[in-house]
Amino acid sequence: MFITKAARRYASAVLELAAERDEVQEILGDIQLIKNTLDGSNELLVFLRSPVIKYDDKAGALKMLFGDKVQELTRLLLDQLVRKGRIQILDQIVEAFLKKYNEYAGIIEIDVYTARQIKETQRKALQEALESKTGKKVQMQIKLDESLKGGMTVRIEDTVIDGSVKHKLEQLEEMFLAGAVE
Amino acid sequence: MSQVRPDEVTAILRKQLSGFESEADVYDVGTVLQVGDGIARVYGLSKVQAGELVELPESKDEEGNPMRGMVLNLEEDNVGIVLFGSTSPVEEGDTVRRTREIASINVGDGLLGRVIDPLGRPVDGKGPITGDTMRLPLERKAPGVIYREPVKQPVQTGIKAIDTLIPIGRGQRELIIGDRQTGKTSVAVDTIINQKRTQDTDHPVFCIYVAVGQKGSTVAGIANALEQHGAMDYTVIVSAPASVAAPMRFIAPYAGAAIGEYFRDTGQHALVVYDDLSKQAVAYRELSLLLKRPPGREAYPGDVFYLHSRLLERAAKIIGDDEVAQQMNNVPEQLQPALKGGGSMTALPIVETQAGDVSAYIPTNVISITDGQIFLDTDLFNSGVKPAIDVGTSVSRVGGAAQVKSMKKLAGTMKLDLAQYRELEAFAKFGSDLDPTTQRQLKRGERTVELLKQDIYQPLSVQEQIALLKINSEGLLDELKVNQIEEFEQNFLEMVNAKYDDEMEQLGESGTLSDEFGEKLMDAARSVIDQMLATAEQEEAQEA
Repeated sequence: MFITKAARRYASAVLELAAERDEVQEILGDIQLIKNTLDGSNELLVFLRSPVIKYDDKAGALKMLFGDKVQELTRLLLDQLVRKGRIQILDQIVEAFLKKYNEYAGIIEIDVYTARQIKETQRKALQEALESKTGKKVQMQIKLDESLKGGMTVRIEDTVIDGSVKHKLEQLEEMFLAGAVE
Repeated sequence: MSQVRPDEVTAILRKQLSGFESEADVYDVGTVLQVGDGIARVYGLSKVQAGELVELPESKDEEGNPMRGMVLNLEEDNVGIVLFGSTSPVEEGDTVRRTREIASINVGDGLLGRVIDPLGRPVDGKGPITGDTMRLPLERKAPGVIYREPVKQPVQTGIKAIDTLIPIGRGQRELIIGDRQTGKTSVAVDTIINQKRTQDTDHPVFCIYVAVGQKGSTVAGIANALEQHGAMDYTVIVSAPASVAAPMRFIAPYAGAAIGEYFRDTGQHALVVYDDLSKQAVAYRELSLLLKRPPGREAYPGDVFYLHSRLLERAAKIIGDDEVAQQMNNVPEQLQPALKGGGSMTALPIVETQAGDVSAYIPTNVISITDGQIFLDTDLFNSGVKPAIDVGTSVSRVGGAAQVKSMKKLAGTMKLDLAQYRELEAFAKFGSDLDPTTQRQLKRGERTVELLKQDIYQPLSVQEQIALLKINSEGLLDELKVNQIEEFEQNFLEMVNAKYDDEMEQLGESGTLSDEFGEKLMDAARSVIDQMLATAEQEEAQEA
């Protein structure tokens, strides 16, 4: 998802304030609750994004949904977003907050694509290897991608470590073609 | 039936595979956010450099190669890239991969005689580029002041009006400017054809013709003309016709400069024609506006001056001292061992004006960057003066230092003749009412203008030009009618080339006309003139 500058600014403000109040874990729980709710209900997202629905109605709906389940800070954030007409980027703010939190807590999310299901021992070994390489706590998302044919591909932020058979075959093809031209 | 033995195939494959590493490959990626109008916005690619080439492995071009692009904008949360091909195969969410390579081109002697696109891929259907090549970056800083030298060797264009009045030196930047259809390209092509004379000397001039935003048919026509006159053997054509994407037209002049630099830095001589820079500026304006850079005057971006100044600064005469030249700044590693002094790169940028308006943005910029301009005028062209060079407004700021001795001396009187003629031109209609001095000046001026006319694809050698100048400065042509000058020129050159073969060649080499040979030339001219006058009289008598 593309995160706008505005969303990033709201997210870092919330995180800073939460850190000041020593409520980071609580707020994280709130944000995760909002994320899960948004992910589970597309209607809510459409409702929040709709320019036809008045701000008061949006504020009322949010209060009924999250009113007593979240911290005061989260409630204030939602109120502020509705008042400033920024509630349509709530999903981006949630996403940005989670990213900022990871940065704050020294967690790094790594996508791993494998051709076959990997064993628990392999998973552990990979986790350890990645943690020692990045120096951060690693959260792995392992996805199955049979088009890789074999091996695996690890994506750490923008950098890809590609050990898949598919990529090797592509490299081989390139090499043969380059050789053929000479 | 013959076939390759299986074990032979295996051996070849094994040889090919010997260098293959089976370790994991590491590369940086991003994702396309938005695409259209030849531009893609990419999320990710956080470590990418400005000007770096990127690859889109999921979107293939017509030949099945991955689409390539160049990074132009680095922004806070995204990267703006320009695509070197059609945007249609690129989709939102496609992967973009870094190549860790700044946009560059393979250059070498093998390029001579070829037509290539700005990325160095041949487009003439003659197969891959052969011979040793090295990869040089398209954008490179110009050599610093201590590695340069003032121009001292001439570039002979073979065009009388230019070589005598607006001489060009090796390493100079001379702008060719004028409206559409005034013969700008012809001047450049004639110059390329005339470099054939340098090919047998110790210092041949290699030519690079960069076609930016031209019609495909025009480029083909030029390639054909060069081929016919045997000029393709020492020429490279970089073709970015109007049909290619704007990024290609934008980088084409830099590609030409990179090829020129290969010759310049290896102690050889190059001549680069940029045809034309106004179209490159338009391509750059297109890219800049699409990348949302703020528009300035005539909607060009703020750095359009730098666009041309950094390109033209790369034309230079490199110092003859090898030791100093070897310390040159910003030399790519591959080029370092081949570095040599004494080379040069001459630039002939072309700019098209609209209705003779030289005070528009791009013309004024390029005029101020270059070391002089050749101004071509529509009115002159229409009144039959071809090449339509406006001698009054054209200048060469440094070329005089490179002009051959005799030519310089003879051109001095010619400039004076022409200036006086232009002043008196308005009185020409009074004819015989004028005093004899004025009449004489008018007569001389008319003949000088006539003598400077020249057909396309017929460049003259230095010695031929000197001989003609000598005859004109001595006033021998005054006896002839204006419409007889062309015939005289033909007859005279034919005669001296046949009669004084050795002397002419020597004159071309030394560049100094001895008094003795000058007399001989004048005698020859007199005999040609007498003969012509006699035949003209006979014809008149017959008619009567």
